Parts: sequence; structure tokens; C-alpha cells
Amino acid sequence: MTASPNPAVKLRSGSQMLIDALRRNGVEHVFGYPGGAIMPLYDALVGSGLQHYLCRHEQGAALAADAYGRSTRKAGVCMATSGPGATNLVTGIANAFMDSVPMVVITGQVPTALLGTDAFQEVDIFGITLPIVKHSYIVRDIATIPHLVDEAFQLAQGGRPGPVLIDFPKDISTAMGAEPDYQPLPPAEFTLPDTKAIKTASEVLGQARRPLVIAGGGITISDSVQAFREFAAHTGVPVTATLKGLGVMPTDDDCFVGMLGMHGNGAANHAVQNCDVLVVVGARFDDRATGQLAQFAPSARVIHLDIDPAEISKLRRAEVAVIGDLATALDGIRPGTAGRASWRAQCAAWKKEFAWRYDAPGKGIYAPKLLRDLSRLSPGDLTITCDVGQHQMWVAQHCKFDDPLDHLSSGGLGTMGYGLPAAIGVKIAKPEATVVCVSGDGSIMMNIQELATIKRYDLEVKIILLDNSALGLVRQWQELFFNENYSEVDLSDNPDFALVAEAFGIPSRSISKPGEVAAALDWLLSAEGPALLHVSINPRENVWPLVAPGNPNHKMMQANSAKKR
Amino acid sequence: MHTLRIQIRDNDGAVLRALGLIERRCYRLRSCVIGETNDGGRTMEVSVSSSRSGDLLKRQLERLHDVMKVELQPVAIVDGQHSAIRPLGRRN
Ligand SMILES: Cc1ncc(C[n+]2csc(CCOP(=O)(O)OP(=O)(O)O)c2C)c(N)n1
Ligand SMILES: [Mg+2]
Repeated sequence: MTASPNPAVKLRSGSQMLIDALRRNGVEHVFGYPGGAIMPLYDALVGSGLQHYLCRHEQGAALAADAYGRSTRKAGVCMATSGPGATNLVTGIANAFMDSVPMVVITGQVPTALLGTDAFQEVDIFGITLPIVKHSYIVRDIATIPHLVDEAFQLAQGGRPGPVLIDFPKDISTAMGAEPDYQPLPPAEFTLPDTKAIKTASEVLGQARRPLVIAGGGITISDSVQAFREFAAHTGVPVTATLKGLGVMPTDDDCFVGMLGMHGNGAANHAVQNCDVLVVVGARFDDRATGQLAQFAPSARVIHLDIDPAEISKLRRAEVAVIGDLATALDGIRPGTAGRASWRAQCAAWKKEFAWRYDAPGKGIYAPKLLRDLSRLSPGDLTITCDVGQHQMWVAQHCKFDDPLDHLSSGGLGTMGYGLPAAIGVKIAKPEATVVCVSGDGSIMMNIQELATIKRYDLEVKIILLDNSALGLVRQWQELFFNENYSEVDLSDNPDFALVAEAFGIPSRSISKPGEVAAALDWLLSAEGPALLHVSINPRENVWPLVAPGNPNHKMMQANSAKKR
Repeated sequence: MHTLRIQIRDNDGAVLRALGLIERRCYRLRSCVIGETNDGGRTMEVSVSSSRSGDLLKRQLERLHDVMKVELQPVAIVDGQHSAIRPLGRRN
């Protein structure tokens, strides 16, 4: 404690200093949940000008902050008390880490003197989160707060973004001291790519006869979408995308061949397996995208563009590595473009051959068609958040995205329960957006309590619940790879979801027939305030195509290769 | 076998962070000597065994905010045993 001897100097508490520092870093909204060790911070919150959103579970707060961070590219902020509050944040922190999302997490902690004594609600959250944060701090002196918080934001948002944790012991949060001298941090270093590497990339790409580009999530994170589109327009190279790269090229663009990988489109997977040069932009060769790695893009020379040197040749050797700011790299790569007409024609032919079909057999509602209709009929700025499972893959396959920020999906961690809190985070970040959460009957139950948050703040979030009475994606795998030995995937005793929504004060409707879809979507989108549309679908529906584990991407199972539908 | 000399800041958890990363990325820790530098920082000299690349581990360590510098020296493998660790040369 650095109490000033001079009575004229105004003393501030550690909590007030922390809030001052948040405000100085441009924070307006925070998500959280109070409790013992963080009470001084909540005390200082009142009247501070920061708007706090009380979620109903700390995981909801962390995932809402994740979505806020994704859609603004500025750190989302969440806070919770020590012990169980802090451990409840962990899934949200891991989610942000896996998807490189800027986030600042503040946890209350027991007083410094009690650290390491198994005090009430003491948990080593600093230690627990070491593998899933970009950096973390334990605040030990109020004088360090301004600098520490500035650095936390700089780290969370700079380079390859990620979550940063600040563990805030209670005695520090109540300690009083004079406002420490404030020295702004010098701006973060900006890695510019090597011009020689850019030149080599242009040469190698210029020699290609069957070039392909993979658009990854890094393009959105680094705000390089425009540069990417100009690069694509100049080179005319066909483009595929990872889950997180969807929308970097508009879905309907001629050069876009679809998403690659396990549930990717046939055109994308054939293009990637046949290309001779593969330009990977802000993507990291995730196993869901590559299929069996050893046979991935077997004849391709790889050009890898990424801000993170540790991604280069981690899983697939890059012949050319361009490390640094993606937009600068993309602006610099201007290869010759001759001699590719037949490859482009081949990609166009694949696109035609593997175009999605919506004439599914069966009498029930076909979810892919509903999603396609939704994203084509809705007003301009539609943002879709999803949960994890079959419905998530159908969103990726069948919705149309003109902007990658219109699609928020838990990619790296695959967190069931992301959809609802994510919708809250986006709606607060972008109040003018039409936010639709597409969830499953399993996933929605993981954070169903957030309906109360939606209601309390009257957030106009539209929920489409695709109810197949099952943990569908797991059921699909048991059907295909475990001899139909169904183990703990049946949810046929689901609660009445429409009634659940009503209990939270959220209007709802249920449908089960194709003829009801158009009117129901119209109702959902034109309803004032939040609303939930409960859609019963065929429990046996599967996601196609599917690259079975251990297979290369061109070996895709189709509907008719499965035993039963 | 790879040998790395790591310079880190003396921050909360810095040593754990580096060691945790090494194990998590599937490099097996064989030896580790932690010392102090004149300016209050820490040095770690670690030997690890792995089929994965030492250079990749170096780049992964360099991502950590606490890590200031990593030098990598491969150690010759003689009959399955690693030879004595030679002093690390300055590399620039
Ligand atoms: C927190 C969490 N637990 C378990 C899983 C494994 N998992 C992946 S998809 C899935 C089923 C999801 O069911 P539902 O939300 O109903 O979606 P559906 O596949 O039926 O569309 C499960 C259990 C996960 N991804 N996340
Ligand atoms: Mg389901």
C-alpha cells in the first residue's frame, strides 16, 4: 500500500484504478457475476460508467465476452469471483484461446496473505489457465495496475489475439493509494512480412497451373478481408475456406468453391486434393479441415501466410512462409495468372456436380433447407451464432455469408453452449444487427439460463432450436462408426422448449411440417424483441458429406453410402 | 534431443509457463537448470527429447510474453545417449 502522506492527494482504491484503466482502454461493456472476493470491484462498478451485464452462469459471461471480442476485434471483458466463479470461466477462456479471440478476464482472488493456504474459495486460477491464456497476471501492488491493464489489452488484441487473465486479490482491490503516474505504453510492434518472402510467394504462385487458396479465420481477425478479396480478384485463384474463414469470400462468389474438410463441400475437397500450389492464409491445418494429414493436398507446394511464426510447418511443411501482417502480404502477392483456364473450368464443374440439393426425401422439415431459406430471405445484416453439432455444420454448409463476422461458431474448442451467450455478446456489440442463434436440443441446455439474461436486457435475439431429440452428431457417429450401438444420445424426453421459453418471458412457437416454415420464419424475424422458434426435425437425419476419420478429404461418404436413413 | 537456452522475465509463473509448454507440446524434459541473470531475469537451460522439431519448440516458446530469447542447440546422439551438453554459442 502506497498511502500518500499528503492529505491533498486524492486516494483511490485498487478497484477504482482497475476500472479507470478499463475505461482508458475503451471498455464500455463487461460481462460477469459477483461473489465474495470480487465484491470490492463490483462496489466500484456502481456509477463508474461501465455497463455490466449480469449473465446467469460465469461460462455464459465468458462466452458472451468471446463473441463481443470476435465481432468488435477489441477485447471482450468478463469478470467473476474466486474459486467456483473463476473455474466456471475456464471453458470460455479455452474457447477464446483456441479461436484466437481477444479477451480480458478478471478474477477475484483471496487476499494475498491467504494465497496458498486453501482459504475459502481459493483456487489457483492462474495455474489452471496457464495452458489456455496468451498471458496472465496476479496483481501484487496497486501501483502496477495502470501499466498492467494497458499491457493486458495490448497483448490480448495484438499479433495473434487471445485471452489474458488478471487475478486480483481482495486486499489489492481494497488497498488505497495515490493515483500512480501514468505512462502510456508505446504502441505494439507490428510485424511486417519480409519482402523477399512475398516475392518468392508471387513466383511460386505464378508457376502454378492448379492453384487454390484456403481462407482462414486469421483474415477476419487481422481485418484483412478487403485485401484478401482484392488478392482473389487479381489472381482469379479458386478459394476454399475453413469453418472460421466462411464469409471471407461471399458464399455466392464465382471463385468460391465452399468449405473444405470433414463436412466440407465436394468441390472444395476435390480442389484441395488436386491443387499444385496451396496458399494458406491465416489458417492452421486443423485436423477437421485436413482429414488425414499425410494425404492432404498431396501434390501441393504450400505457401503459408500467418502472423504467428509458430504455425509455420507445425503440421505441414511450408515451402514459402510469409510471416506478419496478412493485409500487407496479400497486397504484395501479385503473380502472373496465365494458363489456368482448364483448372478454373474443372473447379466450376466440381461446383456444379457437388452443389447442395434440397429435395430431401421424407415428410418432415429439412433443416438444411430451412437454414438456406433463412439466410436468403432475411434482411441485410444477419448475424448467426451457432452451437455445436449437426445444426452447426448445416449452418456452415447452407447459410450464405457476405461477411465473416456474420458467422460466429465455436471452431477450435467446439463448445456446446456457445450459441446463446454468443448471441448476447454480439447483440450488445452490434445492437443494429439481426442476431439469430441456431441451436440444438442438446446444446441449448448447456446455457439455457441465459434466456434470463436475454429477457432482462430485452436483447432482440432470435433463436431457432433444431430439435432432433438427440445428441445428433454423436448419434450419427455411433450409427456410422460404432455399429449403431447407441449410447447415451437419446433426448426424446426433452422438456417442452416452447414452454421453457415462455417461462422466461420469451415468446415462442413450435413447428414440425415443411408447410409451416415460411410463416414461422417470418414470425420470428418480425417479432418485436427476443423470440424462440422450436423446430422438430427427423432424428435420423445426418450431415453429408462426411470424411470419416483417418481418410483423405476426397474420400467423402454421401447419404447413399450409409446403411440407413 | 534438443537443448535450449531460454531467457525469461522474472514474472509470476514464468518458469512454469515455459516448462508447461514444453511438456504440453510433447517434448519430454530430460534436464533443466534454472539460473539468474545480472539484471534480475532468469535463464533456463533445458534438454528435451522428442521426435518433433526443436526449431518449432523454439518458435512456440518465443510466443510467450515472458520469454525474451531462445537459443537452440541440437545435441548429437551417440548410441542412443546424448553427449555432454556443450556451452551454447552466441547466435545472431
Ligand atoms: C461441452 C461439450 N460437450 C460435449 C460435446 C460433444 N458433442 C459434440 S456435438 C454433440 C451433440 C450436440 O447435440 P445437439 O446440440 O442437439 O446438436 P445436434 O447434433 O443434434 O444438431 C456432442 C455431445 C461438445 N462438443 N461440447
Ligand atoms: Mg440435437
